[in-house]
Amino acid sequence: MTPLSRRAFAAATTAALLTGCGGGHGTPRSTAGHPTGTTPSARSSAKPARALGRSLPVGLEIPAIGVDTPVIRLGLAPDRTVEVPPITADDRAGWYRHSPTPGQRGPSVILGHVTVGAHGDGVFRHLARLRRGDTITARLENGTAAVFAVGDVRTVAKADFPTEAVYGAVDRPELRLITCGGPRSGDEYRDNVIVFAALTSASP
Amino acid sequence: MRRTVLGAAALACTAVLASAVPAFADGPSPVSEATVVPSEAAPAPVDATEPSPVPAPVDATEPSPVPAATDSPDRSEAPGEVTVIPSGAPDTGVAAQESTAHGTLIGGGAAAVLAAGGAVFLVRRRRATTA
Repeated sequence: MTPLSRRAFAAATTAALLTGCGGGHGTPRSTAGHPTGTTPSARSSAKPARALGRSLPVGLEIPAIGVDTPVIRLGLAPDRTVEVPPITADDRAGWYRHSPTPGQRGPSVILGHVTVGAHGDGVFRHLARLRRGDTITARLENGTAAVFAVGDVRTVAKADFPTEAVYGAVDRPELRLITCGGPRSGDEYRDNVIVFAALTSASP
Repeated sequence: MRRTVLGAAALACTAVLASAVPAFADGPSPVSEATVVPSEAAPAPVDATEPSPVPAPVDATEPSPVPAATDSPDRSEAPGEVTVIPSGAPDTGVAAQESTAHGTLIGGGAAAVLAAGGAVFLVRRRRATTA
């Protein structure tokens, strides 16, 4: 190959590489696997901890799936469904304000997106990967932290959403993390992924 | 020689621009996002917990068993339970449009093929000139 030919091919290769880089703009990172199956229902074996006083959640940490997010407050949408966090690049989790605060007796409910459209992965992208015993820490407004242990991870069809299991009264401090999962139809997911966890300790 | 180098550079620029156009065209639409944001600011027209100025004639101290229909912020005070149970399932996932990725991929691939074809053409022309 002559020097001239090498130059021409080098130019073509450079062009092809630049094309590949430019073509990637805006592509979602969410093509990798959707939530893996369902975990069999199981009660948490963690020792229940004493309930905490009311204090609003300000942050959430789930080391097993690399989550460390601020927590916003969510209410009800006009159609009486639960509000969800806004679709933004800096996706955050949201605490349903009509549920107990994390650490209080009862089911505290926190929601997050699995994907946020063109922005890519949501804060709960890998929620379905949690397994029994994984730790979830909710940072509270009063400076304390409520530590929960995962007891169950369920993937359920939205059409069969287990309202009573999620929002029903319980006699100990528990946590529910909710996101979407399962196969997609258009821009919607068919299922919800729900993590059930129980309080194990509080700090400091 | 110089013409060939300049031609290759122009070809590279063309390929970059060809890939940038579909990428820009596939940018997120602000309109579609706005429709997904929940209406946080819709205040309850009536505060259901506000006491009525007219006292009830009978048994006014008995709490009402009917939950309030408004989304008043102080309904979560009761510990141990969810005070207002939402209806339906949460919509916590907005998937990206598949056409976005496909369109960009097709545009990028076409530009790459164009660039490679141009390079071959330049080499052949140069060889024909020097022969």
